[in-house]
Amino acid sequence: MNRLYPKGVYLLLLLLMSQMLVAQTTITGTILTDEQVPLEGVTIQVKGHAVQTLTNNRGGFSITVPALPVLLLVSHTGYLKEEFTITTLTPASYRLIRNEKNLDEVVITGYSTQNKKLIAGSIQTINSQTFRDVPASGFNQLLQGKATGVQVNANSGVPGGGITFRIRGNNSINASVDPLYIIDGVFISNTDPIQTGLGQQQGSNPIADINPSDIENITILKDANATAIYGSLGANGVVIVTTKRGRLNSRAKVSLNGYHGWSRATKKFRVASGAETALLTNESRINTVKDNPALPPPTLIAEPESQPTYDRVSDLFRTARTSNYEMSVQGGTDKSAYYAGLGYLKQEGIVRPSNFERYSGRLNYDNYLNRQIKIGTSINISRTWRNVSSNDNNPQGVINSAIFVRSYLPVFNTDGTYARYGSFDNHLALINYLGNDAVGWRTIGNIYGEYAILPELKLRTSWSLDNASEYENNFISSLLAAGVASNGSAASYETKNLVLTNEQVLTFIKSFGEDGKHSINALVGNTINTVLSQSTSATGTGFASNDLTAVSVASVRSGSSAQSRSKLLSVFSKASYTYNNRYTLDASFRADGSSKFGANNRWGFFPSGGFTWRADQEGFIQSLNLFNELRFRASVGLSGNQNGIGPYAAQGLWQSGNNYLDQPGIAPSQLANPDLTWETTRQTDFGTEFSILNSRLFVAVDYYNKYTYDLLLNVPVPNRTGFATYLQNYGAVSNKGFELAIRSTNVKTRTFKWTTEFNISQNTNRIEKLASDIALGASGRNISILRQGYAVNSFQLYKQLYVDPQTGNAVYEDLTKEGNITAADRQIVGNALPRYTGGFTNTFSYKGFDLNVFFYFQQGNKIMNMNDFFLVHGNTQANIGFVPRQLERWQKPGDITDIPRVTTSSLTPEANNSAANNYGGNVANLSSRYLEDGSFIRLRTLSLSYTLPASIISKLKFNNIRAYIQGTNLITITKYGGPDPEVSSQSGNQNTAGYDWATVPQPKTIQVGVNLVF
Amino acid sequence: MQLRFNYIVLIGGLTFFTSCKKWLEETPNNALPANKSITDAATARAAIIGAYNSVQGYYSASYPTLGTITADNVIFNGTLSEYLQLDQNAIPADNVTTVAAYQNIYKAINSANSVITYVPEVSDPLLPDAEKNKLLGEAYFIRALGYFDLGRGWGGVQLQVQPTTSLSAARGIKRSTLQQTYDQVLSDLVKAEELLPEDGSTRNRAQKSTARALRARLHLYRKEWAEADKYASLVIANNKYALVTPFKTFFTTPFGTTESVFELTFSANDKNSYWNLWYPSSAGGQYTLKPSASFVSKINDAAIGGSRSSLIAGTGNNVYGVLYNTSATSTDPSYIIRIAELYLIRAEARVWLEDLTGALADLNKIRNRAGVPNSTAATKEELILAIENENSIEFSFEAHRWFDLVRTERVDDILGITNKNYWVFPLPYSDILSDPDAKQNDGY
Repeated sequence: MNRLYPKGVYLLLLLLMSQMLVAQTTITGTILTDEQVPLEGVTIQVKGHAVQTLTNNRGGFSITVPALPVLLLVSHTGYLKEEFTITTLTPASYRLIRNEKNLDEVVITGYSTQNKKLIAGSIQTINSQTFRDVPASGFNQLLQGKATGVQVNANSGVPGGGITFRIRGNNSINASVDPLYIIDGVFISNTDPIQTGLGQQQGSNPIADINPSDIENITILKDANATAIYGSLGANGVVIVTTKRGRLNSRAKVSLNGYHGWSRATKKFRVASGAETALLTNESRINTVKDNPALPPPTLIAEPESQPTYDRVSDLFRTARTSNYEMSVQGGTDKSAYYAGLGYLKQEGIVRPSNFERYSGRLNYDNYLNRQIKIGTSINISRTWRNVSSNDNNPQGVINSAIFVRSYLPVFNTDGTYARYGSFDNHLALINYLGNDAVGWRTIGNIYGEYAILPELKLRTSWSLDNASEYENNFISSLLAAGVASNGSAASYETKNLVLTNEQVLTFIKSFGEDGKHSINALVGNTINTVLSQSTSATGTGFASNDLTAVSVASVRSGSSAQSRSKLLSVFSKASYTYNNRYTLDASFRADGSSKFGANNRWGFFPSGGFTWRADQEGFIQSLNLFNELRFRASVGLSGNQNGIGPYAAQGLWQSGNNYLDQPGIAPSQLANPDLTWETTRQTDFGTEFSILNSRLFVAVDYYNKYTYDLLLNVPVPNRTGFATYLQNYGAVSNKGFELAIRSTNVKTRTFKWTTEFNISQNTNRIEKLASDIALGASGRNISILRQGYAVNSFQLYKQLYVDPQTGNAVYEDLTKEGNITAADRQIVGNALPRYTGGFTNTFSYKGFDLNVFFYFQQGNKIMNMNDFFLVHGNTQANIGFVPRQLERWQKPGDITDIPRVTTSSLTPEANNSAANNYGGNVANLSSRYLEDGSFIRLRTLSLSYTLPASIISKLKFNNIRAYIQGTNLITITKYGGPDPEVSSQSGNQNTAGYDWATVPQPKTIQVGVNLVF
Repeated sequence: MQLRFNYIVLIGGLTFFTSCKKWLEETPNNALPANKSITDAATARAAIIGAYNSVQGYYSASYPTLGTITADNVIFNGTLSEYLQLDQNAIPADNVTTVAAYQNIYKAINSANSVITYVPEVSDPLLPDAEKNKLLGEAYFIRALGYFDLGRGWGGVQLQVQPTTSLSAARGIKRSTLQQTYDQVLSDLVKAEELLPEDGSTRNRAQKSTARALRARLHLYRKEWAEADKYASLVIANNKYALVTPFKTFFTTPFGTTESVFELTFSANDKNSYWNLWYPSSAGGQYTLKPSASFVSKINDAAIGGSRSSLIAGTGNNVYGVLYNTSATSTDPSYIIRIAELYLIRAEARVWLEDLTGALADLNKIRNRAGVPNSTAATKEELILAIENENSIEFSFEAHRWFDLVRTERVDDILGITNKNYWVFPLPYSDILSDPDAKQNDGY
């Protein structure tokens, strides 16, 4: 069968050709590159005639000419134009020479490939070379500081942990703000599959399932013209990843990579000593009785200064090792090309006991069945293993148990057992016995077929799946506080997120007119997309021994399962017309139907348009002799968002499972909203790019204005209705910003080269319309707030004006001027969004040496330091110790400080300047004194590598040998007082960014590695 | 030819769009569409179960916490500031515990409203009138309990008596006075008493006596002494109920003793881990709620606590409450009405009705059960104080002490909270923001 089919196609071809032969002469041939690689899509014209054609996917062409000899004009983007005189009918191959200046300028855009110079959209491509060797598990983390308009932050220092990734700001409040990730045409699920409760943090980075070394390049689509083709999936930007593929007629190239790294904390937690803790406690007890003389005399800790100090913080940290090994082979024959890669990464967390391990395998294969039909596949299979542990609001988390417990309390009881205090577990017990294993299997696969119906008309069909499954087994032994009462407890979760996508795209690319003055790049297509989520869990309590950990042997067991499915149907079209290589007009349109929405408003329509002007092609610009390149872009369009809301969000529902007396119960859970529909983002973008000084200085500037309306908003409704929120299309958010990127070749001699890259992005976020304030975050403390007129991720606290030097009491701003402090006096005192983010890279090459210095910076964001919130408490928390900042408290009249007098007084909690509000009372410690500036600049990577000279390498029969030493996060400059400013503990919810709460700080890593290619 | 082609396009197009439409319709497998919620016997039964589940939602932890940590028997010993706020009686409008209780009470009320509205419309031979009446009676009782618990916590509230089907329909309901809220409770209890059945054993679902017991309490709160006396007597006279000895019998397995007039049952599949807030971490808990030192010394006094000292365990600085104690299985019931309360209601009513002998007899019944000698109270004032103190010890970890002090206006004397505004909890912050009809309590 598989032989018969190509034969049939050949036969058809022959028939077609013979028909042509009757009339005229046909020339055939192949266009190759310098490396003998066939070039597809090359324009062949016959001088003096209107005939032209394009080469097929094997570089072949055939063109009908009236008579020999003829002059063929051959042109292709990125290559120098050539003319060949043809005198015989014998098929021959012709070579095109690369135009070095232009080669990298073909970029992948939505469903097509276009010449960068002609693109109207704001699109940035990052070559994987720029982030290779960096010891981070997910490619999204590696884009930090590399692209404009993209904010990337690791939420914690946990390997394989969550990442905050925003393209041009937060577009939404309740729907997702994560971009669409597409890998080799496959829509990737970015749903965190970890079920184990880990506090409010995002448990994992699902993108870490992909080995960054398999990546060729990453394209980021930012503006509406680029993203509208992805319709309802595109509003948050699109990240298109292209993995490495083999090339036809290339020799097999085997590449081996390996590195070892050693990491430590950038800075550790600090707590007060035993003596300091006792001293502060006594002081507070004395003050409290002074405040309320009715109380009995204080009981003091005897001899506070001789209290011992038990160092728990050091037990948390370790020198964590990272090992990475990779092998890949890449090559091709005249009909097929392949890339195969294997990788292994093991990363230890700097805070015990977390770990991350990944095995990955990839196979990319393309086969040209004949001149017209190409089929291929991209398959990624990976297995990840994580040892996870909770943070922030879990008093039985590892870090909480170490830093919160008072430092004068011994770690062990006198009988040698683990000692526990208050709500906290013993940190060593957790480190030794916490068993939270999460094993993920990820299959991302795609099979495609391409059929060139005509040289300029191509049909592509693609069938993809992304199957992410996570198998978690947790055992809480009876040696841990959480397992004491139940005699051990175990949980087992099996979670599956499946994304199935089928798409068909018909592409038409043609240039016509004299010298191909008019060119058209158009496509039409459809996608069918299904997202299926399934989970099953089993839990059990009561184990005969701590060595028995299976749920099946627990004395009490229960189970649960859930599933949901959503579907999306789309049709789309895009056309781009270029006149004379100067003016390009783009338009696209997409219609999406989603199963999530109400029957009245299921379909959404997303048009866009854009215009580019290559001014450098104009005579008057060229006569300036200033610009090597100069172009202007403008675009406008709509894109939509439906991610992040539940699959049945529009339906009125009565939830089952509201059981009582082991009988089934149902209760109203959701009000119907049949009008629920797409959240829409309108974006305009203006950009310019130019290069001057003989192309040594390149500058790109963009301005964008995004307005997202009909937000999918969980609007709080009066609780008396029996419902807390109602999902409706209400509200609007805007993001406006500038982006600037500069690339400069400072010095370029035969042996020495110095290049600088600098980028900076600014974004202003504002909630334009909101039904009412939404306060949330910090486990019900509502420190984060969404309020009309302010940015998302704003912090709402009582603003401490000063500490009264006479009384030592904190004075808060009394907004309502009522003379007392109530909830109405809380105000917005900052937000977690950086005003500017950027990167600054210098690369020096001298002979075989390369030195790369990369700084990342962000400015203007605030961090809510929850560690200080808890550990600077004036003794209101009887079971919690202190951090050294508490020692700065007011002690005697005349003291100037921002830390008020220590007391646990609860008298007159409403009065301003009342001792009750120093750490408790109405203010309840929700004071702006714990909100800190989170700006920082960091030497993200510093690497020095040496590549052996070609003469030695060839003697050793190698293609390339490179060795390097690299440091990550070596220097961090910040005013932030916590361990590390790159932190977001409550990242499980996009609206509660910027908390630092018992979270693993970023690691500082030194690594050595080697790359071998033969 | 042209016509046929158009036909094909038309039919093809129609098929495509209808099949698309169908393909895009997805329904969950764990929830019912709202318009098919209460349609037959099975869903009617499930709906009342759902209402009980919502009562569990606020009685398992938040409501008893509101009744205890706010007063003098229980203090804050944890890390979560929501409990510190309650302990200090400095409660912001977004206090997690008050908000959770308020939300869940209204959820229960919405479920009850749905049963009251939709069950009469169900015609299913499997749902005979007797059972319909039982379900309706239970719904009236749950709604009465909900509004009673709202009234004594927050003051007069907005009275929702229709199920919520859309937001617009809910607009325009202003807050009622406390008397109006209690009137609503009374009218629901009258209907409940009429509709509910009575058997000899049910203690975890509403029965005729359950409605009467709540009514006795309502009359006590409204200082309607004769009715309080009457309804308390009706319940006490029912031999389904009796005080248990030793004291701890009612809070040790098997639960559902004769002590219990109304308790909510939990099971392995429907857990109540309230013990976790009381137990220290060495015993697997969080130790957020801790018996106060003054309370510990009282309950350990044989002349005050007697056998009720079994409510605490541990020594020295590590004394903890064990009313909720199923740390291995998390199946503690929520104790809502015990027969002991009816005796103390009647005792208090009788004092005000000048029946001091009868009052003393009821009081001593409770004291003697705990092995405590007879009270020496002789005057009216002494008796009232003795009953107040008895309530405090008898129901130390149940939702009583705070509400009793508010009811008798003794918050100032006992807890030193002079500002009466703080004798009621604040309405949730989100309600003030989202509901033009909601008015915040003064002082918040």
